[in-house]
Amino acid sequence: MTTSKRSRWIVPLVAIIAALATGAASGLLVVLKGEQIGQSSHDHWLGNRGVGSTRADPWTRAIIARIGLLALNRSETIYFTRYRDSEGRAFRADCAYEISGTDLPARWWSVTLYGADDFLPPNDDGAFSIDATRTLRDASGRWRARISTTRDGAQNWISSRAADSFDLSLRLYNPTPDALADETTIPFPTLTRLSCEGDER
Amino acid sequence: MKPLSFRGLALPASILIALAVGHLGVVTAYPYWAMSTAMDRISQDGAAVNQWRHGQRATGASRRIVRPSPDLANSSCVYDLADGPIRVTAAAWDGYMSVSVYSANSDNIFVVNDRAAPGGVDMMIYERGTARPSGADLVVESPSEKGIVLQRRLAPTPERFALAAAARASDVCGTLADRGL
Repeated sequence: MTTSKRSRWIVPLVAIIAALATGAASGLLVVLKGEQIGQSSHDHWLGNRGVGSTRADPWTRAIIARIGLLALNRSETIYFTRYRDSEGRAFRADCAYEISGTDLPARWWSVTLYGADDFLPPNDDGAFSIDATRTLRDASGRWRARISTTRDGAQNWISSRAADSFDLSLRLYNPTPDALADETTIPFPTLTRLSCEGDER
Repeated sequence: MKPLSFRGLALPASILIALAVGHLGVVTAYPYWAMSTAMDRISQDGAAVNQWRHGQRATGASRRIVRPSPDLANSSCVYDLADGPIRVTAAAWDGYMSVSVYSANSDNIFVVNDRAAPGGVDMMIYERGTARPSGADLVVESPSEKGIVLQRRLAPTPERFALAAAARASDVCGTLADRGL
């Protein structure tokens, strides 16, 4: 093969290989950073109707495989994740928060704290979550819980010790038909930042 | 009229196709890779297939499955239908309990809970395209030869977890040959 014949093929070949690599990189980007696809949002609680579904599109399936592998489908459980407080600021372990609400429309519900690596934080406080069976309510049925590195006398507590940055998972097992049909009917817990160590302005 | 050259039309088309193939290839392959990784982890690289592996109470050191619920007693079974259908049982539980089946692409292809199966779960799983077995309350068709079965029992306290551990101790996940059936 002469040099000119070779060069005639090399340019297209390199272009096609580069296109394959670019396409693969864009696919990886969607998988790693594409949480917004198929997402619903309710006061910073983010859900995804495609979780566990056999009818999920390839992008939703790939994203869920990364952030929630082995999740149940919607008929069994609805999952929401929250990364920010009521003012849209990302959660920080050196801040204290209060989460409050009423019982949620499901057979069982829980709120669990996870570190940025999607695992429970490496502490031994035994306070990774609050749930429908253990959470103490007031006379009107409302509950409130402190999210902080120390309990500080709170009736209900989720420990953020050793979490650094974190997020919260809300699980509704066996949701009511109303909640399943229309997520806006769910009385989502509210979340406010109480204080932060040292940097109050 | 000058005929269309490879560089004139075929090359841009090939580049577009290569972009799409690269993109969809990664997006489609990712769930299979994630499941394969999970199956290797759960089955200890294939050493513990077609058998329940009962998880301990989730702690800050748990790293087997992402975002574990500390309020549930989880058990997992990597299934392989190469030798035919498998039998899955889960004893009754006086709280929320479910058994769910995940195919190799991570889809939750089936789930049953204690409300639908108050006396416990008795299930067979077979591979699509093979003979449908009988003899169990539930028969589930898997589109893939391999996958994962999970059982979840609501057990938010150490006391409830100990009861769940006792309840699930004799649960079955295995081939019919293993069971002498």
